[in-house]
Amino acid sequence: MEELKSAIIEFLEGGKTKTKFYFKDIEKAVKQKIPEAKTLQIKKACSALINDGTLIYFSTGSTTMYGLKGRGITEDH
Amino acid sequence: MAFEPKRPQKKINYEEIRLYSDAELNSTTEEELKNFKIKHDIPMCEDLEKGPWPSFVADAKQGALHRRKLADGRVLIPRDVIEDLLGQLELSFVHGETHWKHGGIVGVFGYGGGVIGRYSDLQEEYPAIAHFHTVRVNQPASKFYDTDFLKGLADLWEYRGSGLLNLHGSTGDLVLLGTITDQLEPLFQEMAHVLDTDLGGSGSNLRTPSCCIGKARCEYACYDTQAMCYEMTMHYQDELHRPAFPYKFKFKFDGCPNGCVASIARSDIAFIGTWRDDIRIDQNAVQGYIAGEYAPNAGAHKGRDWGKFDIQKEVIDLCPTGCMSLEGGKLVIDNANCTRCMHCINTMPRALRPGTDTGISMLFGAKAPILEGAQMSTLVIPFIKAEPPYDNIKEVIEKVFEWWMEEGKNRERLGETVQRVGLPKFLEILEVPAAPQMVKEPRSNPYIFWKEEDVPGGFQRDINEFRKRHKR
Repeated sequence: MEELKSAIIEFLEGGKTKTKFYFKDIEKAVKQKIPEAKTLQIKKACSALINDGTLIYFSTGSTTMYGLKGRGITEDH
Repeated sequence: MAFEPKRPQKKINYEEIRLYSDAELNSTTEEELKNFKIKHDIPMCEDLEKGPWPSFVADAKQGALHRRKLADGRVLIPRDVIEDLLGQLELSFVHGETHWKHGGIVGVFGYGGGVIGRYSDLQEEYPAIAHFHTVRVNQPASKFYDTDFLKGLADLWEYRGSGLLNLHGSTGDLVLLGTITDQLEPLFQEMAHVLDTDLGGSGSNLRTPSCCIGKARCEYACYDTQAMCYEMTMHYQDELHRPAFPYKFKFKFDGCPNGCVASIARSDIAFIGTWRDDIRIDQNAVQGYIAGEYAPNAGAHKGRDWGKFDIQKEVIDLCPTGCMSLEGGKLVIDNANCTRCMHCINTMPRALRPGTDTGISMLFGAKAPILEGAQMSTLVIPFIKAEPPYDNIKEVIEKVFEWWMEEGKNRERLGETVQRVGLPKFLEILEVPAAPQMVKEPRSNPYIFWKEEDVPGGFQRDINEFRKRHKR
């Protein structure tokens, strides 16, 4: 789990201009780094990072993205 | 079967949770409303009140007047929120474009859906709606509400939101329209702990499942839609609240092929009640309809004289597959060719009833976007039993989830993924053999390309010979 969390954070910190990412993009990046990672485990790691306040959800209403708290658009815009 | 909740159900007593007195709730009179003007000029909105139908503008103005009369501290977001809403709407009519921005980081802790951020792009002109977030509330199965719950929710929403509700959104949820970011967490806490309810789905989640009235009131229901909707809602809580799908995903449950929640047209998986034995026929009742003893369609169209009921013209000739006939005065149905259009059953409900070996058909891939690209769903599983705990159905659902999460592109609905990779691939994933029922029109337009190994005895095809007759 900790390895997955680090991979997720590393990917999200790597974005130069983008600050919000689709789950599929996170999944792809994590699987590149940790090939044996399973989708459900990556989802659970994302949820754990949401629950500890590291990540935030960004939703347009129709789709949802993930971002690091404090980067890009924050509470209001 | 009696309802068995997954967790203890809380009895809501409005008198214990109410926030407003009767005097506060009934503070406006017809006379006051007639003379009431909001703080903005809204001639185009007011024009909408002149039609023959109930107008949302009239309702909104009533809400605005009601909020003006509440004492200070009795509402926690600006009391003129509805007035600014109507003011901005008027301006949108003038400009011919919206002044809403949507999306953002609003939500409640740990939830990836249920709250949709909405902001005005004219915050200086309309400060009361600078934030106007939408909250989706998971409706009970078939929307069977307790009035104590509804009154409690309405009070809560008046206090912490705009007081405006949408009963219901097209997804099925009860929608609370308009509050500020600071009120989201307290609103959710009270919804959960006082009203014992939950947020619905939004974003890249499983959306709030919805069902028709089912066996609660309808004799056509082929399975217990309410029980199945509840079971799936509870079983897939993680998918409902923690988004990891490529896009939205909808379940809808129709008890029979009449499709009262239109699952076939707008859900990624449609569960439609059906039967695999024969339509039950009461020949005496058939004769009763022919003799005019019973009104067709249970009297639904009797407001006008349609002349004497003609079973040949009104039922048999309208059967889309021509599988009905009158033989020696008896109604005969070739059940193998029935496509479950329901017309004969709807017309003569006293004489015809669905069979008794009931279950569901599962159809996949519908979507009904607002602008373009509407798509009906495709029948893939013609019949599967639908009985608690629905493990056979969950197995199918999970194969779909797993495949779509892998194959689906961002913002691609299931139907689009299936269309892109082809139905045969989807059938392979579900391990379902192609069947005659999977046709676009009854028995006329099969769209399966068979592989040689799928056909007994195989086939040989010389592509060069084919190209001599068919140019690329």
